[in-house]
Amino acid sequence: MVDQKTLAYINLYAVLGTLENLCELDPAASALLTNKKPIAIGFDVQGGPSATLTFKNGRCRLEQGIKSCDIKLPFSSCEKFNGLIDGTVTPIPTKGFTKIKFLLKDFTALTDLLNKYMRPDPADLYDDEFFKISTSLMFYTITVAISQIANNDKVGIFTANLIANGDIEMSIEGGPSATLRANGGRLVTLKCKPDNPRAVMSFASMKLARDLFDGNVNALECIGSGAISMKGLISMIDNLNRLLDRVAVYLA
Amino acid sequence: MSFKINKYDKNREYFKRAEKVIPSGVYGHLGPAEGCFIPVSAFPNFAEKAQGAYFWDVDGNRFIDYMCAYGPNVLGYADKDVNNAAFEQAKIADCTTAPSTKMIELAELLVDTVASADWAFFAKNGGDTTTLAIMTARAHTRRKKLIFVNGYYHGVAPWTQKLGYPGVLEEDVANNLYVDWNDIEALEKLMDENEGEIAAFIATPYMHGNFKDNELPAVGYWQKVRKLCDDKGIVLIVDDVRCGFRLDIAGSDHHYGFEADLICFCKALANGWSVSALCGKEELKGTVSGITYTGSYWLSAVPFAAAVACINKMKKLNLPEKLRKDGLMLTDGLRAAAANNGFNLIVSGEPALFYLRVDDKDGNLMLHQEWVAECVKRGIYFTNHHNHFMNAAMTEEDIKFTVEVAEEAFKVLRKNHPEL
Repeated sequence: MVDQKTLAYINLYAVLGTLENLCELDPAASALLTNKKPIAIGFDVQGGPSATLTFKNGRCRLEQGIKSCDIKLPFSSCEKFNGLIDGTVTPIPTKGFTKIKFLLKDFTALTDLLNKYMRPDPADLYDDEFFKISTSLMFYTITVAISQIANNDKVGIFTANLIANGDIEMSIEGGPSATLRANGGRLVTLKCKPDNPRAVMSFASMKLARDLFDGNVNALECIGSGAISMKGLISMIDNLNRLLDRVAVYLA
Repeated sequence: MSFKINKYDKNREYFKRAEKVIPSGVYGHLGPAEGCFIPVSAFPNFAEKAQGAYFWDVDGNRFIDYMCAYGPNVLGYADKDVNNAAFEQAKIADCTTAPSTKMIELAELLVDTVASADWAFFAKNGGDTTTLAIMTARAHTRRKKLIFVNGYYHGVAPWTQKLGYPGVLEEDVANNLYVDWNDIEALEKLMDENEGEIAAFIATPYMHGNFKDNELPAVGYWQKVRKLCDDKGIVLIVDDVRCGFRLDIAGSDHHYGFEADLICFCKALANGWSVSALCGKEELKGTVSGITYTGSYWLSAVPFAAAVACINKMKKLNLPEKLRKDGLMLTDGLRAAAANNGFNLIVSGEPALFYLRVDDKDGNLMLHQEWVAECVKRGIYFTNHHNHFMNAAMTEEDIKFTVEVAEEAFKVLRKNHPEL
């Protein structure tokens, strides 16, 4: 069952948070932001997450909470915010009416571009560069979503409590890496490789990672062939895989 | 000396074939995922033959096998006494409409052998008996809740699994409560908080969970658990599937000085022939009689004959003493081999089922996994996540050879990690 609060955390931190990586990986995205004044959008979801997306010098950064922002978008519930992401709710800002153009034009163009990579036309995936960016963005979205599920979803919380403290490395050879940091039953995702992981799960290729994310292969199945390698405290990876399984419940 | 490094070309060919028609190629604890083959390249996939303390893989590599098929091999693979008893029974009858009287013979032998047993019920796997034990406890007490020890393993039925596992419903585990091993205060508190609702406390004789050092019961722990269960009307279930007969022929509850209400046996019961048994106290016999629980092959006579021969031989050999002595000899040697190369090998659990861990400052098992892989590549089958098993066919020469290989593996580790 989809929990709307968990979904809101995923939508804000994992989905909109991937705009950070989009701007790094696709020049078309950063071009939308260059030569423009820095601008910050605050998302304030009642009973759910709040965060600020800042666009500056062709880059994007997501930070928890709203300290200061140019445009503020309040949502009366997690359901309303989730409606923004699936296109059924139009947000009404309480601050930044003079900068609404950015929201309507540039921000919408960025999210459209993100959507193009996240829900790609199968034909586009034959382009190597598109495939690599698309898979990398999926990787970041999924690894951040894992932490949101661990911290908010009922089943996820139970599973996260079974994970020993420490860093888990998830990486794709020749591609992106992430750290899933467990502490006291809570998880945080860092979009970089850990210095000293307690457990490592590594995918042999972008193609394999893609197949896994698309649900075409199972992680356990790939271990035998060596396509996925693991080492360290395997119980951490075992539980991480339970969380990974639940990502599909929210992001399928 | 330098030991041969195994090659696994045929293993891999077979694995590729298997992957096409079998989920995961080899699923479960014998497979590369759950079996923690780290790295996969160090481990064989398929056995060709087995004898005594060894198995040979399909590439002809011999392994001194310290996993013993994860426990069933207790007297040595293909033990003549057990196999002859099975083969002789096979000539007479096996799976028949009316069961063989071998069933009575085995039940009588178990009742005479296991200190807490007044009766025996037979099935095939350990999980069959833990499930029956839980059903019995619930039927007898008319209560729903179960207490587990964190880090437990009692099989693969949905009630034994955890929330979030594929195919397991929230409802399957809704009545499961958890407590830490050896924490008698927490156990008492949990029982008080759920007064009149707890059907059973289920635990292994000591904590032999995976990925962590094994823990023996604290002095007086089991006696306190027994008393709490008596006071609260809770059925005390001992899952002796893994340890059973290796610590004490009369049952591991007997070994630790208490009596279980229900005790589950499998692995060592018939030296690899497929039979398991739930044994219990007289007052639960009627309850078990009323439970609908059976299987197509559960009353087959051949495994019963094997079990009778196996139990008699284990008694004759005074098996627990031999396994303890050999286990201590081996683990002392392994510890010394580690120390000779500047490593600290931590040995925990009972010597007959020793658990190993190469100590590392990061606590991530990676150093241990490297060492285990070097041993396996040289023909010593250890695992990096699970307790090991001794068997009666193991000789002093096997143990000496193992220690020599382990020493070479530690030298490789030292060479690979000059920084440590």
